[in-house]
Amino acid sequence: MIGKKLNVGSVDKKEFLRKYGTVMGALIIFTVFSLTARNFFTSTNLLMLLRQMSMLTIISLGFTFVMGAGGFDMSIGNATGLINIIFAIVILNTNSFWIALLAALLVGVTIGVLNGTLVAYIGLPDFIGTFAVGSIIYGVKMLITKGNPIFFNDTVPKIFFFIGQGYVGPIPFPVILMAFFVGLAIFILNKTSLGRRVYAIGGNSIASLYAGINVKRYRLITFIVSGLSVAIASVILTSRLGSAQPLAGEEFLLDAISVVFLSTTMFGDGEPTGSGTFVGALIISMMNNGLTMLNVPYYFQYITKGTVVIFAVVLSVVLGQKLRVKL
Amino acid sequence: MMPADKTVKAANIIETEGVGKEFNGVWVLKDIDFSLRPGEIHSLVGENGAGKSTFIKILSGVYQPSSGSIKIDGSPITFHNVRHSESFGIRTVHQEINLVPFFNVYENIFIGTEQKKNILGIGVLDDRQMKRKAKEVIERLGVRLDVNKPAHLLNASMQRIVEISKVLVHSPRVIIFDEPTTSLGEEERKRLLEIIKGLKKTGIGIIYISHNLEEVMEISDRITVFRDGCRIDTMDRSEAAPEKIVSMMIGHKSYNEYKREECYKCSEVFIDVKNLSTDKLKGINFSVHKGEILGIAGVVGAGKTEIAKAIFGLDKIQKGEIQLYGGRYQPSCQRAIENGIALVPEERQAQGLIPNYSVMKNITLTYLNKWCSRGVMDSDREIETAREYIDLMSIKTTGYAQLVKFLSGGNQQKVILSRWLNGDFKIGLFDEPTKGIDVKAKEDIYGLMDQLAREGKAIIVLSSYLPELLSISDRIIVVHEGELVGEFDPKEDNAKEKIMHAMLGGRVA
Repeated sequence: MIGKKLNVGSVDKKEFLRKYGTVMGALIIFTVFSLTARNFFTSTNLLMLLRQMSMLTIISLGFTFVMGAGGFDMSIGNATGLINIIFAIVILNTNSFWIALLAALLVGVTIGVLNGTLVAYIGLPDFIGTFAVGSIIYGVKMLITKGNPIFFNDTVPKIFFFIGQGYVGPIPFPVILMAFFVGLAIFILNKTSLGRRVYAIGGNSIASLYAGINVKRYRLITFIVSGLSVAIASVILTSRLGSAQPLAGEEFLLDAISVVFLSTTMFGDGEPTGSGTFVGALIISMMNNGLTMLNVPYYFQYITKGTVVIFAVVLSVVLGQKLRVKL
Repeated sequence: MMPADKTVKAANIIETEGVGKEFNGVWVLKDIDFSLRPGEIHSLVGENGAGKSTFIKILSGVYQPSSGSIKIDGSPITFHNVRHSESFGIRTVHQEINLVPFFNVYENIFIGTEQKKNILGIGVLDDRQMKRKAKEVIERLGVRLDVNKPAHLLNASMQRIVEISKVLVHSPRVIIFDEPTTSLGEEERKRLLEIIKGLKKTGIGIIYISHNLEEVMEISDRITVFRDGCRIDTMDRSEAAPEKIVSMMIGHKSYNEYKREECYKCSEVFIDVKNLSTDKLKGINFSVHKGEILGIAGVVGAGKTEIAKAIFGLDKIQKGEIQLYGGRYQPSCQRAIENGIALVPEERQAQGLIPNYSVMKNITLTYLNKWCSRGVMDSDREIETAREYIDLMSIKTTGYAQLVKFLSGGNQQKVILSRWLNGDFKIGLFDEPTKGIDVKAKEDIYGLMDQLAREGKAIIVLSSYLPELLSISDRIIVVHEGELVGEFDPKEDNAKEKIMHAMLGGRVA
């Protein structure tokens, strides 16, 4: 009888961990850095942290759509740099922020269409197809820039700098953008037919096909969403940096993978969610921020992040969820 | 240890007393007394959720009983895990086929228990010995099968034979067969039953689970009926009759084989298939009228499913055409649905359900746009619809939000049917609609098909289970190896024999 009681207790504990383990992880990391890093728990730093994480969050939200439908996108790191450059070239030549933004979004959509066509319509495995696209993008941006950054002059419209550097009251503008897109993603994934179909495809793509869902088209759409979110994040990044770097944003790939895997461990459904992705991005960004404050060399940050990915994936498997992506 | 000798029939290999199982305070199995002798076939029957599977899982060591005791050869035992149970010679042939497609027969048979020989202190696979043993086992089954053939080239019944061989190489004393004839055609089914009878003669104790009462009556020495987690009765075959068993299984009303009374066929042709050829089909011609139920019979792999897939736009059409309501139709899944075609697929788990989706989300998946405006879901109306269908189809569930993977097979099938019913389809393709589901749900589904025909829909039922087709169809066509080989009226004399003959390609059964 005692054995049974213990058993029930451990089931509850497991259930609790399954649902809220990731949130608790975020709280623990927050507490540890608050106690150890002197300037971590200050309003200045926390706002900076939020601003830093806005780009990663937005990119990861797009990735959440792709992975929600059971896919994977390896091109996001390279795509960021290309969109930076295209945006910079267009804004320097037209002097119009809006035309440049449109161009950036168009490049994002194009990359999404390319990925989606290769993966969903032609049938390449996600890893191979999107990895190859990433490689092509790398080549193209090097071809355009020869590896050199593009700097902006004074004639560039002011609104451009506001996107990445501006404030609304005490709140950095990118944070407001992030909040908007987190809300939008949660809404689309939970409340619209698009979200319903995306998760259905991730849950069982064959059954989705038999239920009449145009699986190919919806998978293509998820890649377009990913491309668009990369474009938006790239514009923020370019504005923040004040220059366009061809290699900027390469770390987003590993970070976004970490974020979305953390997202799948949230709430124990094995599906990445909008809110889960926000918490995942918070965890990764706190680690980037906190470890830097503790003067941990950057290479250790790679080691910790890699460990976090493994931990997140192992956790989601141990807790009895099916891996969404066949690795 | 008692030798597995036919002369000591009285000694039970397995004996259970008061075995029960509870999960989170719910007793899914109560007080089961059961015994199995060597050289006996003891069948377990009951609706899905009656407790058969749970009981089997206790015997095979997957679950530990919450109450009661298990005795093996008279001495009490608690199985800690599957290995432990296997060490007492208890083995299970599962319902699903679990073979590695590109491994050949003997490699599959010895998967996980590879035989090794020692060369210079290194363990090396002993292929020769494994082949020899595999051959021996297959010969014991009286089957001709090349042990070097890759598993994916075998048909369903041969794959089943390999699964049985996997168990037999361990010289088991008890074999549990869980629905072994699922997805087998009539001829293969008969052969498998003969094989199981042969195993019994060698002194192996056999526990047999099936939804097919004809089979159970043919094969069993004793039959135990489960209902709602309890053992209702155990009888010798001589005292059992199908009607009696069924009334025990369902508890209330008595069972009559489902019979339709009227034919609602109208003159209007809904679907006309002309000279249809695909990868697997050769020149198929048939048409279905409004209000008609057409049965398509054929053994497994004959091409029934491929007809449904071609109509639903899942398989590419190479030659021929399909006309809907007198007009042209270029098949694709989306166009099929727009034109009022519904497909209830054969593989409920793989092709039908989104396992992690709730009952509601599974019901509304196909016609999702009905519950949303400008892409945004209207939850209230969606919940209302889900409740309506749970009620209408009497789906047993804790509520619309329960994940569909936790439902029994019959209830899952009703969820998939509900998915189509809320869309007012006109042509229904039902591929093995009652596969692996309980008697009550079967009857419900037959009744539903009758009602749909009365409402003026055209229904196409594809099945390898002939009695079902005979009772539900207005007309039956038979496919064999991708070709249409005959058309029959189920009411004509000797229809069953004639159709069976055609299903087997005209060969004498």
